Amino acid sequence: MSEATNEATTGILSFGAYIPRLRIARSAIADGLAWAMPGARSMGKGERAFANWDEDVITMAAEAGRECLRGSAATVNAVQLASTTFPFLDRSNSGVVADALQCGKTLRTEDLAGSRRAATSALARLALTPAAAESTLLIASECRETRPGSPAEMAYGHAAAAVLVGAGEPIAKFRGIGSVHADLVDQYRSAEGEFDYALEERWVREEGYFKLIPAAISAAMENAGTNLGEIHRIVLPASAAVARGLARVLKVGTELFTDPLAAGCGDCGVAHPLLMLASALESAVPGEQILVLGFGQGADAIVLETTPALAKLQDGRGVARTLADKRVIDNYTMFLSLRNQIAIDFGMRAERDNRTAMSAMYRKRDDISAMMGGRCRECNTLQFPHAAICVACGARDAQTPESLSGLTGRVKSYTEDWMAYTPHPPYIYGNVEFVDGANIMLEFTDFEAGQVEVGREVRMVFRVKDYDHKRNFRRYFWKPAPLTATTEETGNG
Amino acid sequence: MAKGIRDKVAIIGMGCSRFGERWDCGPDELMLESYTEALADAGIDQNEIEAAWFGLFFQEQSAGKSALPLSLALRLPNIPVTRVENMCATGTEALRGAVYAVAAGACDTALAIGVEKLKDTGYGGLPERSKGTFDDLWLPSSTAPGNFAQLASAYAAKHKRPMEDIKKAMAHISVKSHANGKLNPKAHLQKEITEEQALGAAMIAYPLGLYDCCGVSDGSACAIVTTVEKAKAMGIKDMVTVKAIQLAPSNGFEMSNSGWDGSYFHTTRIAAQRAYTEAGITNPRQEVDMMEVHDCFSITELVVMEDLGIAAEGQAVDDVLNGVFDRDGEVPCQVDGGLKCFGHPIGASGLRMAYEMYLQLLGRAGERQIGSPSIGLTHNLGGAPNRNVASVSVFGLHAG
Repeated sequence: MSEATNEATTGILSFGAYIPRLRIARSAIADGLAWAMPGARSMGKGERAFANWDEDVITMAAEAGRECLRGSAATVNAVQLASTTFPFLDRSNSGVVADALQCGKTLRTEDLAGSRRAATSALARLALTPAAAESTLLIASECRETRPGSPAEMAYGHAAAAVLVGAGEPIAKFRGIGSVHADLVDQYRSAEGEFDYALEERWVREEGYFKLIPAAISAAMENAGTNLGEIHRIVLPASAAVARGLARVLKVGTELFTDPLAAGCGDCGVAHPLLMLASALESAVPGEQILVLGFGQGADAIVLETTPALAKLQDGRGVARTLADKRVIDNYTMFLSLRNQIAIDFGMRAERDNRTAMSAMYRKRDDISAMMGGRCRECNTLQFPHAAICVACGARDAQTPESLSGLTGRVKSYTEDWMAYTPHPPYIYGNVEFVDGANIMLEFTDFEAGQVEVGREVRMVFRVKDYDHKRNFRRYFWKPAPLTATTEETGNG
Repeated sequence: MAKGIRDKVAIIGMGCSRFGERWDCGPDELMLESYTEALADAGIDQNEIEAAWFGLFFQEQSAGKSALPLSLALRLPNIPVTRVENMCATGTEALRGAVYAVAAGACDTALAIGVEKLKDTGYGGLPERSKGTFDDLWLPSSTAPGNFAQLASAYAAKHKRPMEDIKKAMAHISVKSHANGKLNPKAHLQKEITEEQALGAAMIAYPLGLYDCCGVSDGSACAIVTTVEKAKAMGIKDMVTVKAIQLAPSNGFEMSNSGWDGSYFHTTRIAAQRAYTEAGITNPRQEVDMMEVHDCFSITELVVMEDLGIAAEGQAVDDVLNGVFDRDGEVPCQVDGGLKCFGHPIGASGLRMAYEMYLQLLGRAGERQIGSPSIGLTHNLGGAPNRNVASVSVFGLHAG
């Protein structure tokens, strides 16, 4: 084979996923639109995931990446971030994620864009990369805004998923890949446009999914030296209707196609193939061949084979937990406002100028991106921010950097502020206590009014701290959020 | 060990503008209003003032930086003017500068004046402000009510009191201050409220409702101080002297160390102890006749009762509900309406509190006079519970 993959030593070492807690009931969208489009009600089933006001491609990627690296001892040599909705066109988005994940400074960072296949194409490329004693964290994250009333508004979701690829003990090996290209413009978003422009589904199905995907699959089967009869699962980022049609075309059973997560999440663009793969890996058994597909102006097909090492990582990472960790709202204007599709008047306090002093941010980059505090070598007190003089014992220049981002905190005092500006009132903040003497006043996220109480445990999440709408900049920091099901279980265990 | 400033400096004249939404006045007019009253009260010529300390917090929103806003507004005869700023302790900081200069012998007579013109921002509450280049990157963009509101949850948890008790005590505090403000013709808010109104008000920052928050006001207050010797020479018999002015800023302990539980003011405790030592007070509950504390929010007044050693630890809620700090109580607090109702033009507030002490000590408080007090305490708190500047001052009648 001219395109021999490194199935012997290279593979997927880990995986992770993140779906934002916020979901809107599609019926709420349909109700909001019923006056103009009564037909929308027929689509109003289930929920779609959407990013909170302080979440974006970078923050969701950080969460998925963190899940993927949980418990891993691997050195990450490269961080690749795939998206069509990067917050920055010129500033390394993957670099911000790498810093939040503390991947180190000797690192290749790469932003991959331009296609809904950006992640599957990258995965195919990694499958071809000669084995080396290094690993790449590939994250796909998508946060597509949708025009109110468009089919996409109900169909899309926001999420991120990640795989760690490299040499080591793979949970899934690469068997083969195949790709085709065709400039079939089923939908597009131009540099000038805010939203996707999608063409008739029937045409896309017949000419796109049913012709381009089979071509890519054929190439992959040949490359892998396998055939469709050997495939246990097919990851197709498309609707169940497309899957049924494709099953007929491919002459395989519909049960091979994994759940497209339409009911509880929605189509997450670039992130969707990796998200569905993460879901498949949660329940796969060793020795399964999984066919991962990507679609958009062509198709990618990647054949993976799971190994016995997979069982060790079936520990709650993946989709089921984050899919279940949700807060469903049925308020359409809240959804529109949190996604900036309507401009609610939050008063003059919202006019605050959030200009960032870039030189200060750079000077304090570890403090901000990794919540890097200091531990006093004299008295062992942990503190944030770190300082030249220990807050507890006064020791001078005696602090070892230590991140607080992975710690569980405990609420010591709090308020729900209805006067301060926040896109999601009330603005909740308070003092949070950590181990070894650390205390920090922090802005909370993902809590509703009435949920915070003194003594409650919180985990830290990487979020947008402030937007500077005047200069189109956003800055990030860590915020206390509710414990997830997994962390709660871990905490109680 | 330094002897401190007790009884070295006398206040010979004070003035205070009417506080409130002074759409009719800028900072210049407000300063002139308080200064004119103080100068007439002292009965001296402007040229006898040798130096001035000028307190102003939000220079961006009102008068601007430096000595100039004061020197220009009062057409001072080119005497030295020092502009000071220490958040809500700004007015007290101005007084401290003037008192220290006189006590040191650098000048005989000095002016301390504070002003704030807040009602030109176009919105309610205190102005938004930057906290600096680094803190803005990580600290919440909090409001003053939100910062102070956090005390309540921590206090309730620490002392195992249900929030309903604390809400009730906070309501008592606000009802009391409104009743006091009604007796004060210079107060911003001169209207009584009921406990039901306080408890049922719109939530500003949980658990603080509208009536738990002080007014945001325009205003100015000032003091003219001189040596006790000069005051005697002027023939002043009933003399108000400064017994103590102490200041304690946070050093990071509260904000960075879990040794602080979030329910009290570490700095106020330190400043109070120093002030009591300087003033020679050993039993504050018995010796202090009246107080003007920094009641920016009702919860602040509640917890500082313990920080000042007036209420025993964990007893403030009961003391408040038992009327200990009411006008006719054991230690009347905010007899002029406090920040709550007299108002809170930040740079002026410390001096406004001293003004009330001065009037009460001299028996000149009119309808709101509370008998014949001989020791009064004032307290300021600038910032937030986790990082603040606290000042505690003691004023008294001096046997000339």
